[in-house]
Order: sequence, then structure tokens, then C-alpha cells
Amino acid sequence: MTRTDDLVIHVVDDDAAFRRSLVFLLESVGWRVESHASAEDFLAARPPPMADLGCLVLDIRMPTMSGLELQQALHARGIQPPIVFITGHGDVELAVQAMKHGASDFLQKPFRDQALLDAVAAAVRRGAEERARGALRNNALALLVRLSPREREVARLVAQGLPNKVVARELGISEKTVHVHRQHIMEKVEVGSAAELARVMLRADPAALD
Amino acid sequence: MRFRLSLSAFILRVAFGAVVALAAGAQAAEAPVRIGVLAFLGDDAATAEWSPVVERLAEALPGRSVELLQFDHLGLAASAAAGSIDFIITNPGHYVELEAAIGASRILTLDAAPTGSPDRAIGSAVIASSARSDLRTLEDLRGKRVAIVAREGFGGYQTVQRELAALGIEPERDFAALTVVGLPMSRVFDAVTNGEADAGIVRACLVEEQPAGLERFKVVGARDEPDFACATSTRLYPDWPIATLRHTPPALAKDVAIALLGMSRDGHGMAWAVPADYQAVHEMFRELRIGPYATLHEPTLMMLAERYWPWVAALALLLCAWILYTVRVEHLVHARTAALRAALDARDALEARMRAGQEQADHMARLSVLGELAGTLAHELNQPLAAIGNYAQSLRRRVDNARLTDDAVREASGEIAAQAERAAGILGRIRGFAKKRAAVREKVAPREVVAEAIALFRGMLANAPDVELGDTLGGAASIEVDPPQIQQVILNLLKNGYDAARGLPSSRQRLAVTIATSGDGNVRVAVRDFGVGLDDAARDRLFEPFFTTKPDGLGLGLSICRTIAEAHGGRLAAVPVEGPGSEFVLTLPLATAPPIPATIASPHDPHR
Repeated sequence: MTRTDDLVIHVVDDDAAFRRSLVFLLESVGWRVESHASAEDFLAARPPPMADLGCLVLDIRMPTMSGLELQQALHARGIQPPIVFITGHGDVELAVQAMKHGASDFLQKPFRDQALLDAVAAAVRRGAEERARGALRNNALALLVRLSPREREVARLVAQGLPNKVVARELGISEKTVHVHRQHIMEKVEVGSAAELARVMLRADPAALD
Repeated sequence: MRFRLSLSAFILRVAFGAVVALAAGAQAAEAPVRIGVLAFLGDDAATAEWSPVVERLAEALPGRSVELLQFDHLGLAASAAAGSIDFIITNPGHYVELEAAIGASRILTLDAAPTGSPDRAIGSAVIASSARSDLRTLEDLRGKRVAIVAREGFGGYQTVQRELAALGIEPERDFAALTVVGLPMSRVFDAVTNGEADAGIVRACLVEEQPAGLERFKVVGARDEPDFACATSTRLYPDWPIATLRHTPPALAKDVAIALLGMSRDGHGMAWAVPADYQAVHEMFRELRIGPYATLHEPTLMMLAERYWPWVAALALLLCAWILYTVRVEHLVHARTAALRAALDARDALEARMRAGQEQADHMARLSVLGELAGTLAHELNQPLAAIGNYAQSLRRRVDNARLTDDAVREASGEIAAQAERAAGILGRIRGFAKKRAAVREKVAPREVVAEAIALFRGMLANAPDVELGDTLGGAASIEVDPPQIQQVILNLLKNGYDAARGLPSSRQRLAVTIATSGDGNVRVAVRDFGVGLDDAARDRLFEPFFTTKPDGLGLGLSICRTIAEAHGGRLAAVPVEGPGSEFVLTLPLATAPPIPATIASPHDPHR
């Protein structure tokens, strides 16, 4: 929980009393919570990139913009935060739709408090994992973007473990040239071996070596 | 196929006067010896040809007359089978067929040729006009018109057919025409001479016997057969046999054989030899798959397919098209019928639904108070209840993890109180609604209201349990109520009783309703069930709002029922019972005056 201490849980629900009770409940186990009376309020208060967004607790049915619509609006902005949906009686179909669009969990009212707390914790964990993966990918991309197009070609083959001779034949260049490219690549990507290079490339794009 | 030949077998009795006279004189009782011959050259020719045999036998069998009967293939076979002849003389092919078919057994073979052997005596010649230079070999017959005596002719067709088959020529397929001219064989010469046919098939040696035969005709595909005097287009087969039949007396057969073996070419113009080997004829038949081997020629599907494949294919295609068409039509008919039926069913269903809907609407109107509550208020009540729950749980958690502050307690308890008030407000609306309805009053007999409620209850359930109705109340007693509301209370009690016995044996699913006076100016309607019953704790809380023992219950039914009862100046209570189940008693004040017609009943509110 230490790493997620600075993350904020956002509660969006149009029923003020219920919304306040959720905040009170989440705060009682130590979460930082912000609440919003509507999806529009949330979007206005928290413009992207929402770096400290732990997860969203969303009422699926709200008068103007529904929870589902907010989910789609966020997707449209390139953000896929973990979302725990809260549904009323008979909203299971909506909830299924939400899950299909990547919601983390949904709870049907009335729910036990522990169920909500578990769902929120799981959602935050999931978000953190995705964030970490994203960071690794960004780092890898930042390194790889230094390569010239030709070096990228060479790097792909080198990362596949091919010896210089084969790379040279494959690209129709001399072995010596490949050797020079290889040195440049290792310097730019800041790695010491073909295996490390492969790891960086896979982080940037899991299909990079296919 | 063979029977396509005319059945008009011409039978010529050749009786030799002298023989007849002799027979009549000596042994008139002795039956004549009858010899059937195949007359392939015509009757006169046959009579002339075989007269030496008749003469010889007449001479050798004193006291027996000898008759020579002439037939075509079919007639000879029929007579032999019928037993109207004793011996047959026929060509080798026909003999082999009869051997297989009716057990003919050769005793001698004709020894006609002065040179050569009876084993190699018969062949066939394919003749053509000697002017036809284009016809030299049997191969040249392709695409030509060919005259034959009959398809079953041995020397006149089958022997040549065998040679053609060896060349891969099938007359029916490869000839321009296969003209059957019939017996006698001379007609073949005529057909070739007058140009009806390009070529004709005749027995070998016949062409040589024709006047100027070898000048007018030539033999196509003539072979070199040693010891054979005539030109032949085919290999050679044994000569004609004389054969006994199954019914021929062995003694007679022996006498005839001896008599005929005694004939000599010089003395009698004809000679007979010991029976020849007819294996060559068998081979021919086997190759052509005709005669005794005709079964081999049974048109197997494969052969038919090979021969007529374009037709078969076309037919199959047509058949396929027809089947497809039929299937499609069937399918369409099916589909249309189904669609029509579905449409009719849909209409019926719609009508039924509309009827049911109307009934349902009537029900719902009566059940409005309870019905409206269930759907709309569940969601509304969820909110304050969930909020209260959250605050309560949060407080407990804060105590547990030492985060509880005075502010938090103040905030939570304030919210809990507010939400409890909100829930009470929602509930108040329900009661208010029930009270508002209670403004309507009508004087009715309790039994009427109860009976109608039971009828409604029965109508609601597919398998409604038995409901006993006991009434100890006098017919004049009446209550002043809002009948639909009281029906709802009773209906609710019945439904609860039914739910309490669900899954139990049917004997415990029955319900009993009794109507009686309670003695203090009240009427007492008791609804008894034999279900799972109530424990004391449950009985205490039964009428609290939102208390329920049902998994999907709202816990409002009894609460509202009690509200209704109280609005009518009555009571609703659960009473202890003997045995299983439970009993609810609705008590309502009896009206002082007897029931009066509803039209002049003036609604009034007793609370104002």
C-alpha cells in the first residue's frame, strides 16, 4: 500500500448522501478520496493525464452523463483508468457492457462494505501495474527512438541473435558495416549485449521481434 | 431380346408317304420319330437338305414314321422344351444354348465337308459387292450398313461379332446400320446386291454356292484357314449336331445314332461323325457374353455407364436439377407454410396476450397499493439504506484501525440520522398512499370479499393449492370497507401462506380461511397455512417494515397490510397455532346496519 499512498480514489455519484458515505468509508481505511456529483464535474476538475488517479468508483446510472459514457469519454482521451462500477437493481446488462470495455469490477447495490474496499484495492493495484508497464515501455521507446532507420533494421536482426555475417547477408551490406552499426546501436540504446537489446525492444513493443 | 423374333414359327410337316403308309400298316400305335431342324435357308432348302436323314431313319427304324419339323430359333427351342420333338438338328451356337437351357445332348456331328474335319466346318463370310474396293478388311466395316439374318444367327452373325469384338468393333455402335433381313439367308445377298446394305454376313460357303457368287461378291477380311474349301471371315467352328433331349428314349437315341453313323457321303449324300468338341462355341459365347453366358452381359451399371455415359450424365444432371427443383419447391412450401403458421400463431398469441394483459391490468388495479410499491420504491430505499450501512461499517472500521475522531463520529451519526429520516419519509409516502385509499367505504358481506380474494389468488398461480373456506358468520353480517384493499390484505396473507409451504408435500400446501365473529362486534378472518411456520423472533418482527424471511421479499407486505387493517379500524396479527404452519388473523369491525346497495353508499372519511 505504501506506493499507492499518494494515489487518489475518485467517487462519482449523483446521490449526495450515498456519495458522502462512500467517501467516509474509503477514508476510514486510509484512501485519499475526491468526490464529484457528476461525470462532467469530474472531467472538469481532473483534466488528463491524471497521474495520481488510483481508480474511479462510478455510479453506472446518472442523470446527465452516465458512468458508461464517462468510461468511453476517458477512452477517447487515451486514458484507461481502472473503474469500479456501482449498479442498482436490474442494471446487470449495463455492468456487463462496462466490464467488456475494460472495467475493473462492478458491485450491485446493496453491497457489503468489504466488497467495495476489496474491489477498490484490486483496481488500484491493477492500475499501478499497468502504469509500471507503461513507464517501462516509455523508457524503452525513448532509447530506441535514437536509432536511425537503418540501425533499427540491424537492431531487429541482431536482437534475434543473428551473427554479423548473417545480418550482412540478409541486408546486403558488408560484415564490417554491420559491425559498425552494431557498436552504434549498443551505445545509443545503452546496452551491452544482443540479449539486453532484445529485452529493451520487447518492452517497447511485444511484437518487435516477430 | 431373342424373343423379339416373330413367334410365328412355321412348322412344316414333311411326311413321306411311303414311310407313313409303312408305319400305318405295321405298327400304327408306334408314335412317329420327330426331328426338329433349324431352317435357316428356308423350308424348301431344309426339306431338301435333311431328306437323307429322314430317308435313312425311315429305312433303319422299321415300323416308325419319321417327321421332319422345321422351326426358327425360338420355335425349335419351344418345341424341344415342350417335348413335342425327339431330336434336334441345329447350328452349333443354338445347340450350345439349348444344351445349357434345356439339356440338349449331342449324339453326332454332321460331317459335311469332303475334306477337313467336322470340328472345323462352319465359318462366316462377310460379303460385299465385288465392286467395292473400299471394303477389304473387317476394320473397313466401321460406319457401314451391314445386313444380317438375325442377331441370334450363329453363322449369320455371332461368329463375325466375335471377330469384330476382337478388333474393338461393336456393330450396334460402330456400324451405320445393322439391318436384320431375316431368314432365309439369301435375303442378305439381295440386300447387298440392291444396295440396301454395304455388306452382309452369311454362312461361309454360301457365297460359293450362289450362281456366279464369287464374281458378284467378295469376302471381306478373308482368312487363310487350311483344309477349308470356302472363303471365311471368321475362325472355324464344329458342324451342326443332332442332339437328343431329356425326354428322348435312350434306346431310340442309340438306334438313331447307329443309323446315322451308317450313312455315307457317297451312298446317302451326307455323313455323320462322332460328336465334335463344341468348346470353341462356348468360348465364343463367353467372349461375347451371350447365349448361356448372357448373364455375364447383364448390363451392369458400370458397363452402362461406360457405354452411355453422356446420356447417363445428362440424365443424372436432369435428375439432379429435378431433385433440386423439387427440394426447393418443397422447401419454399415448407417455409411459406411455416411463415403463415407463425403469423397466425403470432396473431393468436398477441390476442391471448392482450386478453391476459387486460385481465392482468384488472388484477393490478386491485393490487395497486402493493404492486406500485414493489417496483419503484426498492430503488429509492436502496440509497438511504446503503448510505446508513456504509457509515455504520465505516465507524466500526475506524474504531478498529484507530482513526476514529469526534468529527468523524459526529459526521457519521448525523448522516445516519438523516438517511434514516429519508427512508422513513419514503415509507411514510407508502402509508400515506394506503391511507388515502382508505377513504373509500362500502358495505359488503365479508364472505364476498374473502371469496373474491381467493378467486384472485387462484387466478394468479398456475398450480394454486386448495383453499378451504369456512364461514360461520350469518348471511346478514356486513363490514364497511374499501373492498379492493381488504382483498389485497387477504391475498397477501394467502400468498405468504403459499410461499411458506413451497417445496413441501402437497398435503401441507393447502390453505384454510375461516370467517367468524370474535364476539366483541368484530369479524375475524383467519388465514391458516401448514408451511414451515414462524419462530418467536420472527413473529415479533413480522410487521416491521423491511423485515422479511423471503430471499426476494421486500418486507413491506405485512407492514402495509397492518396499515390497511388499522385504517379500517381493525387489526392484523399472527396467532400461535397447534401443529405445523402459521395463522394470521384480520379483525374488522362489523357494520351496525345490514348491507345496503352500493349506489347509495356515501363514501366518508372516519378520520376527519
